[in-house]
Amino acid sequence: MTLRKNPKATYRTLAAGGSGVLLHLESGEYHGLNEIGCRIWELIDGERTADDIIEAIRAEVDDPPATLADDVTGFIDAMRERDLILAST
Amino acid sequence: MPVSELRFEYLRDGGGDRLEVIERDGEVEDPGGTLINEWTPIPEKRSWARLYDDGGRYRLWIDGSGSFYIDPRTPSVELPTGLESTVKREERLWGIPALLCFLGRADHPLHAAAVEVDGEAILLAAPGYSGKTTLAAGFAAAGYRVLSEDVSCLRPSSPPTMVPGPAMLRIRRDVADRLELPGASEVAGGDDRVHYSLDRASRGDCRPLPIRAFVLLRLADSGISLERVPVTNALRELWPLSFRLPTLEDRARCFQGVTALADAVPVWNLHRPFRLDLLGDVVQKIVADA
Repeated sequence: MTLRKNPKATYRTLAAGGSGVLLHLESGEYHGLNEIGCRIWELIDGERTADDIIEAIRAEVDDPPATLADDVTGFIDAMRERDLILAST
Repeated sequence: MPVSELRFEYLRDGGGDRLEVIERDGEVEDPGGTLINEWTPIPEKRSWARLYDDGGRYRLWIDGSGSFYIDPRTPSVELPTGLESTVKREERLWGIPALLCFLGRADHPLHAAAVEVDGEAILLAAPGYSGKTTLAAGFAAAGYRVLSEDVSCLRPSSPPTMVPGPAMLRIRRDVADRLELPGASEVAGGDDRVHYSLDRASRGDCRPLPIRAFVLLRLADSGISLERVPVTNALRELWPLSFRLPTLEDRARCFQGVTALADAVPVWNLHRPFRLDLLGDVVQKIVADA
């Protein structure tokens, strides 16, 4: 199942610390993202699956934690619950 | 800058973007348009009003005033005749009609007063009836230039700037009785406020100023303090104070604007008791530390 950004979500990177913010345009809810969260958002391109994103993050992070897969999956699930990303079969 | 044969009380010197302002006698028959917002009346504080979108042109109907026809693309505003004083009508012009024209040129309207300190703008941001106009009056009494008193026009440029608004201050009667505003003249009243036109000799022009800080007004039991607000928290505060149309497109525009502003300009929480005798101390605190 590939993942894509909901067109009703808009994103902006912030100047300091590699963080960013997401806004759901219909609900008006703001979500702050840390550096890893921003990178996951960038990797969601309509072609990658959750497993693809986990492996991409693993390749980019120095000394990835053992919980990396669970952490990324949990983050993606949370974004789906908030209707920020959508899944395509 | 209005291009018009009408007389205006609150203009500043100099040029600026052109805005055509004319009078319209009577309402348009069958005006059309989709209702996009309604403000319910609050006695003594807010009139009943409705805003209609007619495909990029807008009609703002205000109870007791009539209809304003706004075209941000020209830009132009047609004012109703006959029901209100010219001063009151001008104040209406610098409200929603002007805000719609700001959006038309990609500026960012924010519910904030603004004052000039050392050549820069400090925005005093808060919802209605939170003391921002009183605080702006405190700055005026201390000799600072008031740039706007209720809504400010911001440019998310690099660096962000603020375009001075109408040279007016509408302050509570008890505040007006306690403060002296050098050179200001009372031009209207009759509601719970005294309406001042700021001193013509010192109101200055409308060249944009760089923004030094946003100051969010908070109520405290005692003491006056400033604390820096992280960017993500600042966004949550500035978002509801940002004027926007109820469309996805304009929400996206507003989001990009408010994020750019909060990311580039320091934001402070100002905690202070809402006491007139401390107004001078609050002004000094902001000037020194914000």
